[in-house]
Amino acid sequence: MKKLLNKLLAYFSKPEHMILVVLLIILIYLTIVPLFYIGVDTFTVHSAEVRRIRGSNVGDFTLYHWEYVFNSSASDNLFYKPLINTLLVSVATCAFALIVGGFFAWMVTRTDLRFKKSISTMMLFPYIMPSWTLAMAWLNFFKNKSIGGVPGIFSALTGIETADWFAYGFIPIVLVLGMHYAPFAFILIGGILRNMDANLEEAAVILKTSRLRIIWKITVPIVMPAILSTFLLVFSSAMSAFAVPSFLGGPVRYQVLTTQLYRTINGVNPGAGYIIASFMIVVGVAILTINQIIIGKRKGFTTVTGKSGNISLVNLRKLRTPVSTIMLVILVAVAVIPLMTFAAQSFFVEPGNYSLSNLSTIFWTGEGSPDIANGEPGILKNKYVYQGLFNSFSLSIVVALIAGTVGILVGYSVAKTRGKFGSNMVDRLAFFPYLIPSMAFGAIYLSMFSVQRGFIPPLYGTFAILALVGSVKYLPFASRAGINAILQLGKEIEEAAIILGVKWWKRMLKIIIPIQKPTVISGYLLPFISSMRELALYILLVTPGTSILTTMLFKYNEKGWNQYANAIVLLIIGIVLIFNFLINKVTGASLDKGIGG
Amino acid sequence: MPEIILKNLTKTFGSVKAVDNLDLTIEDRDFVTLLGPSGCGKTTTLRMISGLETPTVGEIIIGGRVVFSSEKQINLSPDKRDVGLLFQNYALWPHMTVYQNISFGLENMKWSKEEIRKRVKEMGDLVKISDLLDRYPSELSGGQQQRVAIARTLAPNPKVLLMDEPLSNLDAKLRMEMRAELKRLHREIESTVVYVTHDQLEAMTLATKVCLLEEGVLQQYAPPLVIYDQPSNIFVGDFIGNPSMNFVDARVNEVDGDKATLEASEITLEMDFRSREGELKSGDEVIIGLRPEDIALNPESGANTCTIYSTLPSGMETVVRAKIRNTMFSIVAFGRVDFDVDSKMEISFPSRNYLLFDKATKKKLGAGSLKFKD
Repeated sequence: MKKLLNKLLAYFSKPEHMILVVLLIILIYLTIVPLFYIGVDTFTVHSAEVRRIRGSNVGDFTLYHWEYVFNSSASDNLFYKPLINTLLVSVATCAFALIVGGFFAWMVTRTDLRFKKSISTMMLFPYIMPSWTLAMAWLNFFKNKSIGGVPGIFSALTGIETADWFAYGFIPIVLVLGMHYAPFAFILIGGILRNMDANLEEAAVILKTSRLRIIWKITVPIVMPAILSTFLLVFSSAMSAFAVPSFLGGPVRYQVLTTQLYRTINGVNPGAGYIIASFMIVVGVAILTINQIIIGKRKGFTTVTGKSGNISLVNLRKLRTPVSTIMLVILVAVAVIPLMTFAAQSFFVEPGNYSLSNLSTIFWTGEGSPDIANGEPGILKNKYVYQGLFNSFSLSIVVALIAGTVGILVGYSVAKTRGKFGSNMVDRLAFFPYLIPSMAFGAIYLSMFSVQRGFIPPLYGTFAILALVGSVKYLPFASRAGINAILQLGKEIEEAAIILGVKWWKRMLKIIIPIQKPTVISGYLLPFISSMRELALYILLVTPGTSILTTMLFKYNEKGWNQYANAIVLLIIGIVLIFNFLINKVTGASLDKGIGG
Repeated sequence: MPEIILKNLTKTFGSVKAVDNLDLTIEDRDFVTLLGPSGCGKTTTLRMISGLETPTVGEIIIGGRVVFSSEKQINLSPDKRDVGLLFQNYALWPHMTVYQNISFGLENMKWSKEEIRKRVKEMGDLVKISDLLDRYPSELSGGQQQRVAIARTLAPNPKVLLMDEPLSNLDAKLRMEMRAELKRLHREIESTVVYVTHDQLEAMTLATKVCLLEEGVLQQYAPPLVIYDQPSNIFVGDFIGNPSMNFVDARVNEVDGDKATLEASEITLEMDFRSREGELKSGDEVIIGLRPEDIALNPESGANTCTIYSTLPSGMETVVRAKIRNTMFSIVAFGRVDFDVDSKMEISFPSRNYLLFDKATKKKLGAGSLKFKD
């Protein structure tokens, strides 16, 4: 007995063991246990469901939800059709993102394209901007009268009424999501192409291989793992996208799993929503597990890389200038024009009337008049907007502080005990939230914390639940940064301090963190910006009192208060871009380098 | 047959001249090493011959055929030059088996399946990898990958074989072994080889002729032993040989026919020339070059004693640093010998291969024997 005690004491005398065990317990509680509760919730009668399930009381066990989702007259519209839509959208988005991103990556790394630097920078823009910006911009441009609203800029300028299939639903969702994730493909495939030993292709040139055969037989097979990995990441991201299908699909009732999840949980059948959430979690985890396996295999796939700086580029000859210009113009159009439409829209009083006399700053600085949007004052004078701005900022700061700090601790304990069982567990648990679609993650926290759990009071409607869900969801960013920071450092640097008898906290604050400042800072800032622009994660959990900018944007948009929505979009993009720029300047990190794959 | 001629070959990257006005004739079945410190333009030269790099100015002729000429606007692509190129990192395709790696080039040349199988087997036997044909490159050791790369390069039977530091990724022992095999291979396949390396030992041991470059400019092009004994300038003398040549600053005091008296700091030497380039007159600033193994250490007998500063015995030879007045010499004493540090020894110059360079132009002035003059 005493022996055991001594062993335990010895074990816990090392700070990394102490942290590891505490983290293990907390992470299990915050990532694994909720899965159990959401499972239970799919068999439980909720207060909103008492009427639809005859003779039941709140809290009763029921199979109704499973029956309803998978095997009832409503199943088609509730689940199967949205599932098919989700699959179609995700696959098409992947294809679009891969073709566009891969094409740009190949052009930039393998041809004598002009403006390479500008193109590479501009290419990241659609990803740095929140995905719904492009969706809003699309609506600003192409919306039509058929849903009772006002025509977009395109119709106003040309007089041509856009068709429903072009303005809403599948096509624009795929284009917008595809464009949003194309940078992803660009970065991953471009990275491989850049790092791929150019000699591999040159060896084929010397052996009399034609250009096409080189691409097909050498280049493509070697970048295949990256392509597959991109495919899976984009697929799972597209599957969990909420804002874009909601904005673009909503008007024509084009439903996908996330929008159904939102409707059911917010509506009369939360149980069905929990089933959809569980389904998405399973798919998400499966996809990203496959990805990890592929990436793992890729390691054994690389060869010694040599000097690949001097690869001979494909000469585009006559096409060089026109192609370069077209590519640049497309990117400028995608990156800049949306911003202009937001600005423009927010200054027109009567929507759809694009004459100069209609310009006004009323939606920015107006006091609010009863005939416009229920007397809502302009956003710069609107206390709700300021409240939302304040909430968004404080939420993101709290999330960044918690995620960043825990991330360093995860990094420290995992790196120090590398290879041990506990280390692997904490590493995986800290990464786990990344695998879960945002909205489903919101759903499981809703399920877990809407009632009292042990000593934790019901958290629904509080700021705490938002902070909690955000911190856990973005922990993967911070813990990756933390693990990298400590691993890069090597243990000798800390051991030198241990020999001198420096205490643990002092070693952290005075040695480890200062040396790895850039990585550590990015571990704080990436969660900050991500939280700043997040909608799907928080939408199920906010109440009017805890509204944040993105959820306000969503609500304004639902109400059709376009100008307000546009003004807020501009505000959020401004904040995100400024902070991304700052991070990039200070640390070299950026949203687009976040986690990637 | 495959004789390679480079005429006025120049390559500039931006404002940097990587290769500057290079004239070189590589004769049929030569094994020429391009040698020089990193960044001297040797790899660029090789890549220009292969066609992967386009020269800025000049002409390249392979086997009597102009493959590049800036004047006549000729630039044949690599696949039409009939060259093989062996990369420093092997550049084996990781997604293909050894067999597929070797057969790939033959498929491009539309060989029949039967011919390809025969040729791959032949190559496998030649470089001793016949039992590895089904493996992937990642499953091979460095030396095996190297052999596969050689097989792949040789399979289409190129007339010219270009090699870019092919042994630099191997460990010392394997490198030694592969050197011997490459030399043997060169004999067997009877082709012209151009071989890039920064390792002077490799360059000397493999080549029929060494081409030494510095900052894109040709320094000397000669057989290894000529380069060793008759370096055309101080750079060549210094670059070749390990430990490197001793250089002693001196002033010409007196010239008398084939003899000259050289005044170094606190020692006076007399050189008896057996060859001479250029005029020499009293008062000229010169540098004497002495190979470490051309300096002998004998038991002390009075006059020209030096003090042993350090010794590095390795069994086959011992590298000694010794000081005579205030001039430090590196000396190689062959055999299993060692000396006590700080002991006194007599120094003498038994060879005939001491060199004299012009201090200003760095060019060689002559060679001959050397002795102390009191």
